[in-house]
Amino acid sequence: MKPSNMKTPLLTSLPLTGLVVCSLGLLIGGLGLSACTPTVKVDTREPITINLNVNIKHEILIKVDKELDDVLSEDSGLF
Amino acid sequence: MTILLRKGLTIATLIFSMAALGLTLPEAKNQGLVGEQTTGYLGIVGQPTSDIEALIKDINARRHSAYENIAKKNNTSVEDVEKLAGQKAMQKTAPGQYVKSDGRWVKVQ
Repeated sequence: MKPSNMKTPLLTSLPLTGLVVCSLGLLIGGLGLSACTPTVKVDTREPITINLNVNIKHEILIKVDKELDDVLSEDSGLF
Repeated sequence: MTILLRKGLTIATLIFSMAALGLTLPEAKNQGLVGEQTTGYLGIVGQPTSDIEALIKDINARRHSAYENIAKKNNTSVEDVEKLAGQKAMQKTAPGQYVKSDGRWVKVQ
């Protein structure tokens, strides 16, 4: 039940008017939007695992990795 | 100062300032001109220019020397060092910069 002091929007107090206005809005809006719907492409592929096919002992890998960190840093000027 | 000396200084200053205006690697990366690849070396993202080509030629040559040193020091192949370098370089690439993935340049998110 509606409280008597509650303000109702014009559209809902005149049911048919609301329906007509909404339909008109959709029609005009639909015409306008069809020419400018941007297509946003999002890359949602799963991250791929790359098999490096590198035959290297673990201890050497650790050393090489550390040395590469130095080469591929802003400090070296090479990265 | 003699006029000749002054002219010489002017020319020298121009040459040095032109060198200072050259494209740097951080600039090239942030402008989306170059990017990292699985090869361990820099590649050109869009249209090549002589500036960009000179820059990556220089950096890539110096990287190659560094990779060779690492390979020798650790008794492993340059090829393996390059592959590891490529992975590391791509992982370290900041958002907004480019990497070559599956043969296509992709902007890191």
